[in-house]
Amino acid sequence: MQSSTLEYQSELAELKKKLQEVSPLNQLEGAQKELNIALIKYPKALEKVFNPDISKAYRNIEFDSPIVNQIIASHFYRQGLFEVGNCFITEAQDAEAAVAMRSLFQELYQMLEAMKSRNLEPALKWAAANSNKLKENGSDLQLRIHHLQFVKILQKGSRDEALKYARTNFASFAGNHMAEIQKLMGCLLYSDRLHESPYAHLLSPTNWDTVTNELTRQFCNLLGQSYESPLSATIAAGIQGLPPLLKFMTVMVGKKHEWQSMNQLPVPVELDKEFQFHSVFVCPVTKEQSTDDNPPMLMSCGHVLCKQSINKMSKNGSKTFKCPYCPTDIDSTQCRQLIF
Amino acid sequence: MEIDPLPNGTGSTAATTTTETTVTATLPTAVSNTTPSSKLSQLTESLKLEHQFLRVPFEHYKKTIRANHRTAEKEVSSVISSVADVADSNEISKDDAVLSLTSLVSRLQGLKRKLEEGSRTENLQVQNCRARLDHLESVDAENLSEWNNVRFKRILVDYMLRMSYYDTARKLAESSKIEELVDLEVFQEAKKAVDALKNQEVGPALAWCAENKSRLKKSKSKFEFQLRLQEFIELVRAENYMRAILYARRYLAPWGATHLKELQLVMTTLAFRSNTECTKYKVLFEPKQWDFLVDQFKQEFYKLHGMTLEPLLNIYLQAGLSALKTPYCFEDDCTKEDPLSQENFRKLAMPLPYSKQHHSKLVCYITKELMDTENPPQVLPNGYVYSTKALKEMAEKNNGKITCPRTGLVCNYSDLVKAYIS
Repeated sequence: MQSSTLEYQSELAELKKKLQEVSPLNQLEGAQKELNIALIKYPKALEKVFNPDISKAYRNIEFDSPIVNQIIASHFYRQGLFEVGNCFITEAQDAEAAVAMRSLFQELYQMLEAMKSRNLEPALKWAAANSNKLKENGSDLQLRIHHLQFVKILQKGSRDEALKYARTNFASFAGNHMAEIQKLMGCLLYSDRLHESPYAHLLSPTNWDTVTNELTRQFCNLLGQSYESPLSATIAAGIQGLPPLLKFMTVMVGKKHEWQSMNQLPVPVELDKEFQFHSVFVCPVTKEQSTDDNPPMLMSCGHVLCKQSINKMSKNGSKTFKCPYCPTDIDSTQCRQLIF
Repeated sequence: MEIDPLPNGTGSTAATTTTETTVTATLPTAVSNTTPSSKLSQLTESLKLEHQFLRVPFEHYKKTIRANHRTAEKEVSSVISSVADVADSNEISKDDAVLSLTSLVSRLQGLKRKLEEGSRTENLQVQNCRARLDHLESVDAENLSEWNNVRFKRILVDYMLRMSYYDTARKLAESSKIEELVDLEVFQEAKKAVDALKNQEVGPALAWCAENKSRLKKSKSKFEFQLRLQEFIELVRAENYMRAILYARRYLAPWGATHLKELQLVMTTLAFRSNTECTKYKVLFEPKQWDFLVDQFKQEFYKLHGMTLEPLLNIYLQAGLSALKTPYCFEDDCTKEDPLSQENFRKLAMPLPYSKQHHSKLVCYITKELMDTENPPQVLPNGYVYSTKALKEMAEKNNGKITCPRTGLVCNYSDLVKAYIS
């Protein structure tokens, strides 16, 4: 009995010693140390390459949550994301006003959905109902939809039906679009082998895409809406405009309170030309933007300065001066105000 | 008894170091050589704004690693000391020893399972970090508009999550298949605490503070103190004065050293009832104190996870509105393509600064195109200006005659004068 007691006690002692040798805690520690080096280096690298605080140029004003939510909900609806929009309105609870947008745009997306399955009926109906306004805007959308329908009928191989369709629908467009109609008539010759004919390009699905775009564009136009979602346009402008502002803020350290109350951005922000909606004239001499009180003036040489610059250089009209661009003599009374 | 070598985290180390070296390489290689240099630099600048995008999954990963390591350490050291106890004890019988060791073995087996699962989670998380880096690297001239679209959706999902519109966030992420690029999982942690606080319960929020104790202490956060203060106030409101005092002794006193004034202010509510008219103390009993706690929690949460304190949407909206804001936007005939022609946008832009430009940019009233050296502006006798393109087209259709669309003045194309504007 005693010897077995000694046995297992020595086994236990052996076990304890083995554990101390293997030292699992040290192994864990070692592995963690290695990992820790990387865990410290990575965020440091991130902070060096990327801008760690992009809210430096943020003004501490409260954005009115209902307004922002309405803008977002309207955006979802005009982009056709009806399910997301509805879910959002339920969760946000202060964007009910955007529901009007939903009813407006549902019609558009029903038409687009139908067109995806090559059904042109809703689009034809809408185009017919709005035919006059479309013509006023100079859009040939209605003809283009007829065009697609015509090719579709022809593809099915029924030449007579296509001809009948053409007779019913193309006549009213003959005045302005004769060339196009003639082309379509030419297709009749190849009704069963369009894909081999010189008109094969008419079968391309890109035609459908073009008409889809034009339909969307005209739909928005007639509703008095912009083509681009105003929210995505503003955000895109923000993404372009934010880097120069942040750069300025790194220089402007300690003057944050000045930034909070400025009336105009302190640095110029050059956006892509799709964001240029208004003419902005900047006087080349003073680098200031023209205003109603200080309009741009055309000099006799064809160059343009703002009124205040001309007054200054001509000493309030008392003498002639040389244009800073070309050495022409300028008489300030001959300068004309420009309206862009 | 053999002890298998423990599964360690070295697999993750390798992944992390390669990820790190890619970070510095990402920006220059992000765009192909065929992009014009101005677009390239604009794109590079916009990529630099994506710190949050990369930092959040990393902080999440770091947290998981640390937690897994702590668990492993605790279990292992507990098992070792138990073995030592059994080995050193003189009185223990053989059967008891066997029992004890068997239970230790099953403990270790449990630990092994946990570590394996932990390692799987860590791997997934580091893969997510990698996936996001790859996403930034993937942008080029061809997919630019789609990539921008995805960025826009990311910004919207970020807004939804911060405002606690979790269903919308999920729907939006799923519909565009960008679940990997947004932080749905991270915000699930916040959801519990936020929902509880909205229900006037501090439990989950306190648990969150305990989980993140060391980091909150490092940033000298007093959020836990604020939670405790609110619980105290609720006890006072329920007129549980004895419990309130005991509570204060246990949970508020430790904060007295650093936040004495606040402590004293709140303690004084004991002297007033919850329906006091004294404004200084009345405000402490108002329900909007809970809203304040929700906001505080969110701020602490964002800081800890490497997020900006404001929603990305607001940051970009402000910058965009300012960049677009000109006095002409507010006129009645402002083109509807300008976002600032809309009432909602105008309201948001009111307190924001106007944009500034250093170079003239002129837009033709007729064609809405830029009037530059290729399409120079021409001046009518009445001072109105239109683009050469528009005027030429008009002249060709009308026998060389021009009619000003805004004033109706008629003149000849030959009467026009070119303006030179740089």
